[in-house]
Amino acid sequence: MDEVVEVLKPIVDEDNGNKTYPYYIENPVTENRVERFLEAFAAVLHFTDYKPLLDSYCTSNAKCNRCAVTCPVYLATGDPKDIPCYRTNLLLDVYKRYFTFSGWLNSRFSNGIDLTEEIIDEMLNLFYRCTACRRCTQECPMGVDHGLMTRLGRYVLSLIGIVPKALQVATREQLEGETRNTSKIPKIALMNTLEFLSDEIEESFGIRMDVPVDEYDREYVFFCAVSDYLMEPETLMGNAVVLYAAGDWDKWTIGGNDFDGINYGLFYSDWHLENIIKQLVHEVTRLGGKKILIGECGHASRSAHDFVPVFAGKETYPVLNFMEYTLDCIEKGKIKLNPNIITERVTYHDPCNISRSGWIVEQPRKIIRSFIKDFVEMEPHGKNNYCCGGGGGLVSVDEIYDFRMNIGGKMKADQIRETGAQIVISPCANCKKQLKELVEFYELPCKVMGLHDLILKAIEIPGAKSAEERKEEAAMFEM
Amino acid sequence: MEQWLDFAKGPLFTFAFLFMILGLFRHVVLQIYYLIVRKGKRLRNAPWKKIILDTLSWVVPVKHFIPGTAFFSSASFLSHIGVILVPVFLADHIVLWEGFLGLNLPSISSGFADVLTLFTIVCLIILFCCRLFVGRQRAMSGTMDYLILIMVFLPFASGFLASHPKMNPFSWDMMMLTHILSAEVLFIMIPFTKLAHIVLFFFDRISGLHWQLRPGAGDKVADALFGKEARV
Ligand code: SF4
Ligand code: SF4
Repeated sequence: MDEVVEVLKPIVDEDNGNKTYPYYIENPVTENRVERFLEAFAAVLHFTDYKPLLDSYCTSNAKCNRCAVTCPVYLATGDPKDIPCYRTNLLLDVYKRYFTFSGWLNSRFSNGIDLTEEIIDEMLNLFYRCTACRRCTQECPMGVDHGLMTRLGRYVLSLIGIVPKALQVATREQLEGETRNTSKIPKIALMNTLEFLSDEIEESFGIRMDVPVDEYDREYVFFCAVSDYLMEPETLMGNAVVLYAAGDWDKWTIGGNDFDGINYGLFYSDWHLENIIKQLVHEVTRLGGKKILIGECGHASRSAHDFVPVFAGKETYPVLNFMEYTLDCIEKGKIKLNPNIITERVTYHDPCNISRSGWIVEQPRKIIRSFIKDFVEMEPHGKNNYCCGGGGGLVSVDEIYDFRMNIGGKMKADQIRETGAQIVISPCANCKKQLKELVEFYELPCKVMGLHDLILKAIEIPGAKSAEERKEEAAMFEM
Repeated sequence: MEQWLDFAKGPLFTFAFLFMILGLFRHVVLQIYYLIVRKGKRLRNAPWKKIILDTLSWVVPVKHFIPGTAFFSSASFLSHIGVILVPVFLADHIVLWEGFLGLNLPSISSGFADVLTLFTIVCLIILFCCRLFVGRQRAMSGTMDYLILIMVFLPFASGFLASHPKMNPFSWDMMMLTHILSAEVLFIMIPFTKLAHIVLFFFDRISGLHWQLRPGAGDKVADALFGKEARV
């Protein structure tokens, strides 16, 4: 296990003793990190309103250790440095020492903790060992929100240039690049992909549905994690057929200027969070849309749902996760799902961002129960679920694969194995990527899919080929 | 000794008690001030229902009974019962409150108070041992964490001995003085230590409010640090 625990420690070059970072950084900072950190922290405290919360946490933290036994990372490593409270205290100690009167006074009388290069190293490691899943927060009697603290720590670090390159490059392209999305998909490529999806749907359903792009005054403007256009065509087709079957085909559109729901700002920076939200809202306003419809993505849903009201000012729009929309269609009888198509054993992974930190726990379960017979829950599930191990943006950082597999995702892999499920539903682009890697790594006998991938198989559309026919055809094709 | 006792009961008590109240009051005022002044209208968007239900769920935290810390957490929760009830409702204290605050509170019987006191003492010892002997607890515990347990333990133990002369190996005066002085030191410590959760508890569980970030703050931070240049 020791070897594994080392994964995120800085790598020291034996020849010259220089440290490199545990993840790729664009311009690794080596000098004056302490002063710069304090300067950045001071600016953050001055302009934001984290101060009262930090005051409160600093004073009343009980050090009771309840958070430790709820954190999948600590449970996997058993390293005291992975105790959520330990990590949060790195930041709180700095706050106390440099930004409160009692801390200052204390430092006059004792040689208390000063911020050092080593502590910065520790922070930049540990803050990216937490998936910001907020599982620990639920069980902390003092309500210390380690997700928020991890995020704040990362924010201050990012201001001195310490942020995984994967996240930085993505947000830069999204905010300043030509394509305005994290995967650098140009509009023309999007159009080609949509064309391809329409062809696929036509082939299996026998009906042509051309996906609306840049249509004005539609009720829903659709955003998904943009990577879905490359990696999850079935989820998107599932979304499309639901809209079609429900008779809402002329009520939705995709925005041609901004079609990316991803918001890495949620994981590391207030500035990025705000500006990405504003960009999204502007696109909806440009198109005259009424509601924001987010595809199967946990953090995209949470960031839009929670932060559109905060940052959009008067331009605010209601935000809907696609599963809410689908459930509504099912309950109103607008779509029909054939209960005999999915015969495998299925389990459901709750993405932290929409379950624990959100509002979606029962909705997908209702959908699943309406057409899947063999549904088993993982234990624990719902708001108590374990994170997939790739939360908080970690899944996008390829170079910490070892950490994500051996530590972050260990509990999840055990959970999945115990259900004996053949299909794990995971309605989130991030979780899906992580879980797919986990399944491969641990050789679990199951497939990872989106909820709408299954709906695509089971939906019955009048006038189209039936679900049974499609299933047969698909089976023939596979042979 | 007599004079010492009078001094401890009189001016010193008044000072320590007021000190605690003002210290706690300061926490509350600052928290509320910050919230209202800095968050203002954004407070309306916050998930209030969730926050209130969550806070209430910790008053009797049965649903937070989780494996791994069951022992420690139970001791911790149970110790709170005695720590709240005995100092306030003990018959001998009621007299004190009446003289000091003019309050006329109901009292608990001395038998019940004894049971509660012993129970609390046992809980405190358990907490102390857990901190000392459970590796992951020890890793997180600092001097203050032990000291606070001792400081809570002292007034309870000395109070119990003072009211049970037969068990008390020392003189009554001595015990009483220890009891009063240790309680007063505790009062003074409260606002500065984690014991301030007496009031801060209600402000800790509101991270839901703090996720209502301040619009425009990110821009200002970036301006202050890098000027108007690119910042992505
Ligand atoms: S559960 Fe909360 S109070 Fe207890 S150690 Fe963790 S952060 Fe501190
Ligand atoms: S947020 Fe999740 S990963 Fe981070 S410390 Fe808490 S439980 Fe562990």
